[in-house]
Amino acid sequence: MAHLRESSEKALKLLRTLPRVQIGNLRPNPNSKQNDKRGRAQHGGDKHGAGNKGSGQRQNFMRLGYETGNQPFYLRFPYEPYYKGHHMRRQYPPISMLQLQVLIDTDRIDASQPIDIATLCNSGLLSLKPAEMQYGFQLTDDGLDNFKAKINIEVQHASEAVIAAVERNGGVIRTAYYDPRSLHILANPKKWFAKGIPIPQRMLPPQDAAEYYTDAKNRGYLANPEEISKDRLVLAQKYGYVLPRIEDDADYEMLTAAKNARQLFHGLEPGWLINLVDKTIVKLKTT
Amino acid sequence: MNINKLTVATRIPIGCTKYFSSIAQTELPASFVSEDEEYKSVSRDKSGLRQQHKNVLLETTPYNEAHSWIHLTEKYQRSLYGRYGGKSNVNPQICFGTITDRSETQKRQSITQPETVQQLLEKLRVSKAEKQAAIQERENGIQKKLEKLEQWKADLNAKVEKRRADAAAAIERKERLIEEVRRHFGFKVDARDERFKEMLEQKEKEDKRKQKEAKRKVKEDKMMAKLVKQSS
Repeated sequence: MAHLRESSEKALKLLRTLPRVQIGNLRPNPNSKQNDKRGRAQHGGDKHGAGNKGSGQRQNFMRLGYETGNQPFYLRFPYEPYYKGHHMRRQYPPISMLQLQVLIDTDRIDASQPIDIATLCNSGLLSLKPAEMQYGFQLTDDGLDNFKAKINIEVQHASEAVIAAVERNGGVIRTAYYDPRSLHILANPKKWFAKGIPIPQRMLPPQDAAEYYTDAKNRGYLANPEEISKDRLVLAQKYGYVLPRIEDDADYEMLTAAKNARQLFHGLEPGWLINLVDKTIVKLKTT
Repeated sequence: MNINKLTVATRIPIGCTKYFSSIAQTELPASFVSEDEEYKSVSRDKSGLRQQHKNVLLETTPYNEAHSWIHLTEKYQRSLYGRYGGKSNVNPQICFGTITDRSETQKRQSITQPETVQQLLEKLRVSKAEKQAAIQERENGIQKKLEKLEQWKADLNAKVEKRRADAAAAIERKERLIEEVRRHFGFKVDARDERFKEMLEQKEKEDKRKQKEAKRKVKEDKMMAKLVKQSS
């Protein structure tokens, strides 16, 4: 043992005298930097790496995908049915559960309030582009074991494991559809309120999305609430946790807060005009 | 610039100070201002911004009156209210549009979204049920066909077995005939021999006759049995 200790001490001694790994004694990866100067003569002169003849020397490169007379690969197969309508498909940019937990822990999101698209976008770290067919966020299961927050969250897509992870902590999760215009409003509410237009109605989901949002298993916002509460218990048994009783929770009001199928913002109804400068709500008087 | 001047003033050599102070004691030319004269502020705005831009900076409406036809549009008026609130002096009524506008939007919505939530759910339920019914129907059809499967399997097996048995019987008969022919000659005869072939033909004929007779006998027996049955 003695010689072992001796040698380890020696190694440690050596290590102490060695320089630390730090920004000062690191050099960039080989070939990661391109020299902006054209070397002359023996410093890479002559042909400058461009070759002797042809398009290399003349720097007139062939167009992308051109195969010098062959039928190009990208034109060779005229039928690609697996891409049919892919430009029209709804996209749901992912947020992981870890990301959500970090957002809550760093006070980017107030977990004592219901969380929706507007909350996520207002955190300043997430953004949504409805014009690029992004239809809201999906909550993915990365870091689900470390998820400890009790939240009331509304996302557009969530897997079963994610739903279980949220409900295990006594939280509530809901999946809801927003049409592109509503998403545009929710992505930057402050900018939209400056337009001085009353809040519009949220559209109902299209036929192919309606199936997802009417299913209690997905906690869809159009699903029967009784079925949802039943499925919560089923999921708790499947994943082996005791379902915390929301009814006895101190935050019962917050946890059960849900938007109407036509509503865009929590607490604000469609048809209201919001003024952020005066902090007023203007309603149309119906006669 | 001021600081430079100050430093220059403080760097007066010590010898000079005496001289300087002696001058200070003497009469210095000075101008006086009266206390109650009103102070006129000098414009310190060097930004060169136009008034409207200054207004925007001060968070008030950029123009007090319309400078362009754009300022008279509904959209601009609405955004004025949205951006500057009550200070903009815009009647928020303009934000809601006219009654005809609202009815137009309602009409458009009734075209783009003709269904209520209930109708949507009902439609979904129906389509789901239809899909389920189609699946059920197909499964039932398959089940019905599968019921006969065992019978079909038994039939096929019997057919295969019969064919095999027939083939075996034919081979066995042929072998028996050959054996008989050989026994007739009393020694081993090549199968290609003429005598052998003749003998085999004879035997086969005999065999066929025997078979025919057996068949006829069976037939006669059957007929007899029938007649006996009828007569009795």
